[in-house]
Amino acid sequence: MSFEQIIFYIFSAILVAAAVGVITVRNPVHAALFLVMCFITTSALWLLLEAEFLAITLVLVYVGAVMVLFLFVVMMLDINIAKMREGFTGYLPLGALVAGGTIAVMWYVANNDYFNLTNMPPPERLAADASNTRMLGEQLYTTYVYPFEIAAVILLLAIVAAITLTLRHRTGTRYQKIDQQVRVKRDERVRMVKMESEERK
Amino acid sequence: MLVELIQSFFAGLGWPWGLPEWMQVGLVILAKIVVILVPLMVCVAYLTYAERKVIGFMQVRIGPNRVGFFGKQMWGLGQPIADAVKLMFKEIILPAGADKLLFLIAPVIAMAPALAAWAVIPFGSEMVLADVDASLLYVLAITSIGVYGIIIAGWASNSKYPFISAMRSAAQIVSYEIAMGFALVGVLMAAGSINLGDIVAAQQGGFWQWFWLPLLPLFVIYFISGVAETNRAPFDVAEGESEIVAGFHVEYSGMPFAVFFLAEYANMILISVLASLLFLGGWLSPLEGLLPESVFEITLLGSLLGPGLHWLVVKTLIFLFFYLWFRATFPRYRYDQIMRLGWKVFIPLTIVWILVVGVMIITGTPPWFDVA
Amino acid sequence: MIALSDYLTVGAILFGLSMAGVFINRKNVIILLMCIELMLLAVNINFIAFSYFLGDSAGQVFVFFILTVAAAEAAIGLAILVVLFRNRRTINVAELDSLKG
Repeated sequence: MSFEQIIFYIFSAILVAAAVGVITVRNPVHAALFLVMCFITTSALWLLLEAEFLAITLVLVYVGAVMVLFLFVVMMLDINIAKMREGFTGYLPLGALVAGGTIAVMWYVANNDYFNLTNMPPPERLAADASNTRMLGEQLYTTYVYPFEIAAVILLLAIVAAITLTLRHRTGTRYQKIDQQVRVKRDERVRMVKMESEERK
Repeated sequence: MLVELIQSFFAGLGWPWGLPEWMQVGLVILAKIVVILVPLMVCVAYLTYAERKVIGFMQVRIGPNRVGFFGKQMWGLGQPIADAVKLMFKEIILPAGADKLLFLIAPVIAMAPALAAWAVIPFGSEMVLADVDASLLYVLAITSIGVYGIIIAGWASNSKYPFISAMRSAAQIVSYEIAMGFALVGVLMAAGSINLGDIVAAQQGGFWQWFWLPLLPLFVIYFISGVAETNRAPFDVAEGESEIVAGFHVEYSGMPFAVFFLAEYANMILISVLASLLFLGGWLSPLEGLLPESVFEITLLGSLLGPGLHWLVVKTLIFLFFYLWFRATFPRYRYDQIMRLGWKVFIPLTIVWILVVGVMIITGTPPWFDVA
Repeated sequence: MIALSDYLTVGAILFGLSMAGVFINRKNVIILLMCIELMLLAVNINFIAFSYFLGDSAGQVFVFFILTVAAAEAAIGLAILVVLFRNRRTINVAELDSLKG
């Protein structure tokens, strides 16, 4: 067994185990952490496939941002876990059946000689100075420049949508209005009073 | 050189067989890791000492001055060692309601990224453990994992103050990561590469060629975001000892607490090194272009004035001093002020300046962008 | 040597597991969202594996777009979840029945 194969099997095993964890654990926080583990191991698998940029982006975007958001929401919401688990065992056989069937079919397709997927020769290893990032960038900014722009618009849309959905103005809370504070004139705050000095009685 | 050293070491031990090749490679990498991490850990220990001394002097105190070596006081230089030993022997207390596994794993998660990022940091034009093509991206991705240590610690403690702190710090770190990312976009546009070594190489040509000048707003934003990312004063609402006791590590004691502490200081050093690599030309000498070429060829003086690791160290120390200076001078920001600064000031500013950098590159503004 | 079918198998197992997750956790919206993320991840593994073995970078570009859209989806999904919880004090799918005629 070559070194790469050992790495592949170790990370695949962790990935599958973590995926099982995501769907079975009782506590949603643990599920989210298992999902983080899935993302990190997947990124290792992508490194084996010479997709360095995407592997690093997966960690950066998913582990660094999306999953933090998930954890944030899961921790903030006061969820009744016991109630959520109702019907867990009831649907387990059906779920296992569907999942098992899907996996079996896909496994059959992947490991069938018909599509020649089992012994497809891997391409030559790229040279050490070959840049996956440059390759992806050249593709994105030439052939796929319009989809790229649309993706940017989708992200903008997501930002606007998420903010408008969750933004709320509470009545009764006082906010600091910095512009007004800065613009305050002396005359608005201080009143000079001229008066005769009085004698103490 | 390292290979021969290790081989002769094993030969000296009387190892009868030649080591297999994969073991040789592994040992060389292991030796390099040790060479990087041991000085780093010593630096972390003495950064805590420097912090107490520097802030002490700024507040007209003396700071630690008792613990020394061999029965001598030596300005308190033994203090970090004594602190470490004390923490090592303290009891690790597990709170009754804590999630035990996560509680113990959290400090490790905080520490590991702070160390793993050093794999791609170049210390010289050839001195780097792993010359990864996308090393800047790697550093950004790895350091973004560090926030999990804080979130998990806050949640697993099953206690109110740590939880509040975890929420604060998660929101803060994610917010400032955006500003930081945008600042880095400016750098990689100017350098035309996301490899840290190439970025330094692109700043060749002396003090006025470094990126700090054309990217001045991004430089300032990067470092301030870095301070916010490491949860240091004045952005330390996650610790906020006067409001939420000590934040996410209220429940920690002994070695786990020490590991959190180490992670914080290791991250400070990392941010400082990155700032000097990205904006202050890393190991390049500031005198380049100011002095005649012949000066750099003088035997000892030339290598001292020319590019080298010592310049990187000096620049890093400047940034670390800024960290301590900030802590000694600024009052803590209020939480909504931190968020406003991150979202409404830094992010728009970075976007505008990225546009400016783009225009400068296209028009080839001298003296920075006229070469390419 | 790791064959293409090995990667496809990993992707298939991951996809099947996330499908099972949708079935057995059908009351908890957060876990459902996580299962969807997992499904997209399985698909991405397949894309990258094909891209590598066929020597065609289009697969990687596609994964890039999937990552973008999935991040947007997660953000909006969680925003909806937060609003939902704020209004109904629950995220249990079974209790979200105010549209019942």
